[in-house]
Amino acid sequence: MGRRSWVGAGLGAALVGAVGVGLLVAPAGASAAPPLPPVSPEDLVSSVMTAQRGPFAGEVEVDNALGLPAVPGVPQLADGTSTVRVWSGGEDRGRVAIPSPDGERTLVSDGTTRWAYDSRDRTATRAPAGDHGGPPEGQQQDPTAAATQAIATLRQTSTVAVDGTAEVAGRAVYQLVLTPQPTERTLLREVRVAVDAETRQPLQLTVLAQGQGEPALRVGFSEITYGPQDPSLFTFTPPPGTTVRDAPARDGEQRPEGDRPRSTVGDGWDTVVIGQAPQPGDGRPRDGQDGQDQRPEGAPDLSALGQPVSGPWGSGRVITTAVATVIVTDDGRIAAGAVPQQVLTEALAR
Amino acid sequence: MTTVSASAPPASRASTRSVAPLGRLAAAEIRWVLRRPRTLVLLGLLALVPIALGVGIALTGGPGDGDGPGLVAAVAGNGLVLPIAALGLALSLLLPLTVATAAADALAGEAAHGTLRGLLLAPVGRVRLVVMKAAGVLTVAVLAVLVVAVVGVLTGLVVVGGPSGTMITLSGTTLGLGEALGRVALVAGWTIVQLLAIAAVALAVSAFTEHPLVVLAAVLGGLIVFGVLAAVPSLEWLQPLLLTSGWTAGADALRDPLPLDGLASSTGRALVYVVLGAAVTVWQMRRRDG
Amino acid sequence: MTAAPSVAAPATAAAPDAVAARVRGLRKTFGATVAVDDVDLDVPAGAVLGMLGPNGSGKTTLIRMLLGLTRPTAGTVELLGHAGDDLTAALPDVGALVEGPGFHPFLSGRDNLLRAATAEPRLDGDLRGPVDAALERVGLADAARRRYRGYSLGMKQRLGLAAALLVPRRLVVLDEPTNGLDPAGTRDVRRVVAELRDAGATVLLSSHLLAEVEAVCTHVAVLQTGTLLVSGELRALLEADAGGLVVSTPDVDDAILALREAGAPSYRAEGGVAVPPGALEAPEIVAALVGAGVAVWEVHRRRAHLEELFARLTEEDA
Repeated sequence: MGRRSWVGAGLGAALVGAVGVGLLVAPAGASAAPPLPPVSPEDLVSSVMTAQRGPFAGEVEVDNALGLPAVPGVPQLADGTSTVRVWSGGEDRGRVAIPSPDGERTLVSDGTTRWAYDSRDRTATRAPAGDHGGPPEGQQQDPTAAATQAIATLRQTSTVAVDGTAEVAGRAVYQLVLTPQPTERTLLREVRVAVDAETRQPLQLTVLAQGQGEPALRVGFSEITYGPQDPSLFTFTPPPGTTVRDAPARDGEQRPEGDRPRSTVGDGWDTVVIGQAPQPGDGRPRDGQDGQDQRPEGAPDLSALGQPVSGPWGSGRVITTAVATVIVTDDGRIAAGAVPQQVLTEALAR
Repeated sequence: MTTVSASAPPASRASTRSVAPLGRLAAAEIRWVLRRPRTLVLLGLLALVPIALGVGIALTGGPGDGDGPGLVAAVAGNGLVLPIAALGLALSLLLPLTVATAAADALAGEAAHGTLRGLLLAPVGRVRLVVMKAAGVLTVAVLAVLVVAVVGVLTGLVVVGGPSGTMITLSGTTLGLGEALGRVALVAGWTIVQLLAIAAVALAVSAFTEHPLVVLAAVLGGLIVFGVLAAVPSLEWLQPLLLTSGWTAGADALRDPLPLDGLASSTGRALVYVVLGAAVTVWQMRRRDG
Repeated sequence: MTAAPSVAAPATAAAPDAVAARVRGLRKTFGATVAVDDVDLDVPAGAVLGMLGPNGSGKTTLIRMLLGLTRPTAGTVELLGHAGDDLTAALPDVGALVEGPGFHPFLSGRDNLLRAATAEPRLDGDLRGPVDAALERVGLADAARRRYRGYSLGMKQRLGLAAALLVPRRLVVLDEPTNGLDPAGTRDVRRVVAELRDAGATVLLSSHLLAEVEAVCTHVAVLQTGTLLVSGELRALLEADAGGLVVSTPDVDDAILALREAGAPSYRAEGGVAVPPGALEAPEIVAALVGAGVAVWEVHRRRAHLEELFARLTEEDA
């Protein structure tokens, strides 16, 4: 064999390597804006709120730079990128798989019963469907629910605009942008919701904070296929050796937060929620499975987090993240909002 | 053997070939690899991984007790998970060590013994030499994975036991024996490909040195460096390049429905390593002094 | 087996084969060190060429380049009619023991040879026959099934020799073959080399043992610090270096006087008086001495030894 053919083979190998590395490194989903008929923000929002949700399957990528404390068992809440698999059968039937490197939390709703299975301790928790005060924890990862909620609550105090089109998970989308009014004292700069042009299902939620180039949070489908799903996905039979528990404590009415007075100060983007912090003597498990429809900061033991602060309102500890601030006072009050610290202290002093 | 017929002389003939047949070379290489004591010791150690894991879990663990590394907690009372957990555990150190040892002996070790010179003088041909050596390392990789998988299945069924020949997935579903074994085979095949990536890189290093320990140090050091790089948040952009960053995908085989993305992307990444390692090995062996 | 051991090779060969190996302008540098410096050398087909030189003179590097194990910095190598990228095509007909024997310690001598035999292009079918024959030939048959790990230095060397002899070869290259061998082993190597020569093979033998080379070689090449000092047929070199007569006599002083008077300058030498060549022929010298009444035991032509040649060459150079 001639030396020349070997040089060729070497170049070929180098090419394979370069292309392979390129494929591995290339970010998914970067693409040009597809042409779509213009739509007004109002039409877009209302079509989102009224659209029928058909069955689909997909993968939701959570790109998190919120700077939250790590919560055991829910790696998706920690900073970084993680993936959640979602199946929806329509009619309140769904399955969510939250993988961790060595386990998985599975949430299944068959329309009448909701199951939560944790592979690490092999427990299945059963709750009747439709009996919940807030969205189930898994749906917080579901952009459909998350975006709908965001639009509904933020519409009055925000500039709502349709900022062109884009492509998410291979689907053409409208970019709905919500920007706080200049009078709003908030940490947030804008919230973007990518809405599927065809199904009008929100596919991606992006939260941008003041003074930060990269999104503080991006939750969105990296992959989605619409169409009927295997019905067996939406049934759950506890496997042998599983501890099955009924979950009365999961209901919103029996949350400790629900027992305690809770008030809000302000409205719109600078709303501050003031409530009672969970007391150490509650005996409630603090493993991240509770209070997920509140801010996630509510779950872990707060006494060890944050910086000490004090003011005319008292003293306590402040926890600052990219998009929210929380103050836990020494007398057991808790104030939280997507606002700077000063807004919280004003609210507490009130 | 059967060639004892008195009339015919022993069937050795002179040949006019200029290189020995590749099949004969590869067969001799594989025989040589399998007779080497350290190969057998490492295979024996690998067989101990699932046994130790299985016995340990059977003695101490029950469902919910385990906070062991990786998937170990999922094995309790669920024996068919054992081979997959054992493969995952072995992939972190013992399996790479085994293939790296084989690759180190293949070129650097032969050079150190002076036997590489004999092969080059025969002559085997330098590219064929790489193919023959790759066959030996491939054999070790396949055998190593098979040992863990097969011993894992047997230990899982016999020692750990489980719900009558079924596997409980991490998603809380139950798979029958056939599908469970299919999942084990999937992880075994995937692990082999990951090991081939290590083997190719180790062979490339091996082509540059005549000190087998350099190869082992390079491979194990590389794995440690990859682990460190993966843990540095500001180097997150490096993740797609790191072989080890795809290794959590092995646990995907225990999810239901089976997600193939992670397994496929880590396999693709491994194949890139294989191509690059093989190219460097061939390039260096063609210019190496014998 | 019965394939007539390479009788075909040298005598009948055509012009290119008259030289088994040829190097031209061969040079090898390792960094700033010049290992082999511009060497031209022919190894005639059928010759037993002894390559002499002190340790570090570049013998092994030259042999490694000849076999394609090391790339020359400059120059060309031709081996059995093959050159350049095609050089390895000559290797099936070349047996070599270079830089000591290389074998795996955990295998027996026989298994090591069987493994080596699988790589030999010229072998086909059952490899055990040639392997056992080679073991027999180097006197290792008894120890064939012992692990190489337990071999003595001499046994290892014999096994290396056996590997070089697995196939009938046209050229056998032996780098320091008697290293570590006892006198019996040295004799065995000489016997093997003689057998190879008789079978028509060319042998290239490197050594720093002059007596060994003188005993078996037809040709010689002397290397020092990478330079080829001299090469050629051993007998011609020694004859050219020889000359003059040595007169054995008890009356050394008288003899020197008598010869001076006869017009032949002479000097005291071991065993008598040495007369440099040129001045007088033997009968005249004897006549002059007898005429002067000097007792003469013996007059013989002075024979050169390789050792002297070597010493003279290497000292001149130094």
